[in-house]
Amino acid sequence: METASPSTSRPPRTLALLAVAAGLVLTTSGCGGSAAASEDDTFVFATGKDISCLDPHVNGDMPQASIAANYLDSLVSQDSEGAIHPWLATDWSVSEDGLTYTFTVRDDVWFTDGTKLTAEAVKANLDHMIDPDTQSGTAGGYLKPYVGTEVVDETTAVVTLNRPYAAFLEVLAQPFLGIESPEALKRPQAENCNSPVGTGPYRIVDYVPQSKVSLVRNEDYNSAPPFAQHEGPAHIEKIEWRIVPEDSTRYGLLRAGQVDALDLMPSVHFDEAEADPNVELILQDRPGNPTNLILNTTRAPFDDVDVRKAFLRSAYVDAGINSVYFGTVTRAGGPLSSTTGFYSPDFEHVYDPDPDEAARLLDEAGWTGRDDEGYRVKDGRRLTVHFPYTPGAWPTAHQALVTQIQATAKKAGFEVLIENGDGATVSELGNNFEYDLRADYWNTNTADVLRIVFSSEYTESAGFVPNGSGFRNPELDGILNDALATDDPSEREDLYYQAQQIVSDSALQLPLYNQASQVALRSDRYGNLTLEPSLSLPYLYDVTAVDSE
Amino acid sequence: MSTQSLDSLSAAPRTTATAGTAGKVIAKRAAGSLFVLWAAVTLTFFVLRLTPGDPITAILGGAGSSPSAETVAAVRAEYGLDQPVLVQYLSYLGNLLTGDFGVSYIFKVPVLEIIGPQILPTLQLAGLALVFAWVIALAFTLLTVGRGRVLDGAGRAVEVFFASLPQFWVGIMLAVVFAVTLGWFPVAGNDGVRSLVLPALSLAVPLAGFIAQVTRSSFEDALAQPFVLSARARGLSDTAVRITHALRHAILPGLTLSAWAVGSLVSSAVVAEIIFARPGLGRSLVDAIVNRDLPITLAVVFLIAAVYILVNLVVDVLYRVVDPRTNPKGSAA
Repeated sequence: METASPSTSRPPRTLALLAVAAGLVLTTSGCGGSAAASEDDTFVFATGKDISCLDPHVNGDMPQASIAANYLDSLVSQDSEGAIHPWLATDWSVSEDGLTYTFTVRDDVWFTDGTKLTAEAVKANLDHMIDPDTQSGTAGGYLKPYVGTEVVDETTAVVTLNRPYAAFLEVLAQPFLGIESPEALKRPQAENCNSPVGTGPYRIVDYVPQSKVSLVRNEDYNSAPPFAQHEGPAHIEKIEWRIVPEDSTRYGLLRAGQVDALDLMPSVHFDEAEADPNVELILQDRPGNPTNLILNTTRAPFDDVDVRKAFLRSAYVDAGINSVYFGTVTRAGGPLSSTTGFYSPDFEHVYDPDPDEAARLLDEAGWTGRDDEGYRVKDGRRLTVHFPYTPGAWPTAHQALVTQIQATAKKAGFEVLIENGDGATVSELGNNFEYDLRADYWNTNTADVLRIVFSSEYTESAGFVPNGSGFRNPELDGILNDALATDDPSEREDLYYQAQQIVSDSALQLPLYNQASQVALRSDRYGNLTLEPSLSLPYLYDVTAVDSE
Repeated sequence: MSTQSLDSLSAAPRTTATAGTAGKVIAKRAAGSLFVLWAAVTLTFFVLRLTPGDPITAILGGAGSSPSAETVAAVRAEYGLDQPVLVQYLSYLGNLLTGDFGVSYIFKVPVLEIIGPQILPTLQLAGLALVFAWVIALAFTLLTVGRGRVLDGAGRAVEVFFASLPQFWVGIMLAVVFAVTLGWFPVAGNDGVRSLVLPALSLAVPLAGFIAQVTRSSFEDALAQPFVLSARARGLSDTAVRITHALRHAILPGLTLSAWAVGSLVSSAVVAEIIFARPGLGRSLVDAIVNRDLPITLAVVFLIAAVYILVNLVVDVLYRVVDPRTNPKGSAA
């Protein structure tokens, strides 16, 4: 899930330059701090984005899922290939019509508040996510087909949906849909936001907003997922999850040995970190719809597919990425990132830059004139593209990248107007289709993301319109719904291939680069920091101290 | 930094409210303070409500979530966003009178639970920054004013340089040099006085340049006064003259400036708070504005206004202490 959510303030762009300068100063010295793991066995993790409510059912922003992956277990788990395995549910069966799922849950697992995990928890959690009062944008959004749960006995729950939804198990594997204690969920929301309770390897003991979350090991942990490297309690006793929004500070803390790991590794420090023997970089592209610019097909000029194709052909994305991201992200060309199930590489190079082709397409579309500034003109109107944009919601490098795309588009005769505004303003324009380009991405662990981003169903929303292209194509809708109605992998693969084909042919997005988890670890102190497979979030359960190995 | 002309900061009594009987003064003050609080909150409320953009998206997990229509409707009803703006305003004001600041849209907990714990860290930061700024500024004026052209020029140059430094840059440089490279201070965080030094300095350095500029010109004026000459004639040492006679005069404009500086330090604390990863009001304010988290925004504005009022009061009192001329019973210096 998640597009950039406007929830952290970002310093001005000059700061990136300062960070580079600071980086240069830093490169002259090695990593500081003692090599021994911090005393009293506390692993300090610095995260770069503020967390709102700790319960990931509420709101639903990536930082919430990130911490949830360390204190919540899910009903099912996913492996790195995208296949689904048991977790808190030992097995399940799906009815012929795809509308009922019967789960059997373990009967030997306890929540850290001392209550036992039963089938009741399945009902309590799914009901909680779908409850409007929970204000769940993400988990609740993924459960739109949910009707209800019937608790048959202590370990059996039957979930009913109102339509076939083959991606149901996939979304259940995400920490956003982690299983919390039903008793804890009965408390007022404010209380549950500060101290949610799960069955996971750690439990939350304290939360100071904007500052840190403290977690301690769950000594009775016995429900490790199949993707974990061991069973039983975690190796590290305590975790301090610190919130450090400023990039150079976060990296400075790691170098000075005051934190053991960080996320959102700043791209300006990549070379330095790679050269440092005491730092290990853990990088993994995320599944979903890659970072992109989506083209609004509901109004001129992008209502014409030739103009859309011309725009895609005009953009030198590779060159832009290499110059501003220093090779720290991987290029995406198609509608799915390469780590998504049913991804096909066939669409990566369909719209490689080609100025001659862009010119031919614009001629064909009737934009044959040129005005005195070199922009294409048709019927006396300039070929103008409005691009409302929230600089604060994006990394500095992204801001540089869109500026470069603006420049290469100008060569082809497009006038791209980047109109800066704050998040709320820009998303309101987005919900009303008052733009030509919109910056987007959508992290989720299923190819069903194609339905969320490109189907008619998602061209309307009371909150946020995920389908920013406004594309309404009955054939595509049918294919994407059929893909949900079967759980035969080869059939799904075929359907999702057709869907990627239609999306690609229709030139709805300019894909830029894959969203990625970029974690740095002080490898002189700790090892085995992994990324859980569903959303590639940092997973601390297997982390071991170096001196205890 | 404010660009108001420094000449207007003369050493005359500060406000008309200091004239008159004590009872009258207090009544005037109280009414004025209440008006300032009401105006600050009201202005913020309408500015935030009338800017385009819907808080719903931010509330529901940012622009990448896809809430159901029922959820969106529930949120609108929960926070009264479906009511006319005027009704929302009046109900907010009504709650405020009972001391209820409401519930944060984003954190889902009562506003005071979120910003309550942040008040002290921010005041500590602003307070220490002010102390540092004064120490640096006074050191500069005492050491360089009227000590010959070279020192005078150097002092002036450094002050202008300090005053024009961006806080962000100072903060990052301090962090790189003293925390990361030398390891003298923690790089970031909020535990104890040591973690407060660098963030306070990053706010203090530009402010010090500013205060020093103001203090310098009034210090120069003071040194040229007849009473300084007579003090010297009585055989007082140069240092004694500077500290006991001239300084008193010289710090008055700086004091006036400090009242404004504290208010601005609290709101500009965001810079140090972000760089040094400290919780605080400045950060809350910026995040809340971006997220359209109205209850938090209003509460922080309210607090900053309250701090500003209090500091002005303190400065008035100090003024009477430092400058006996404003005190009807005081003797002439």
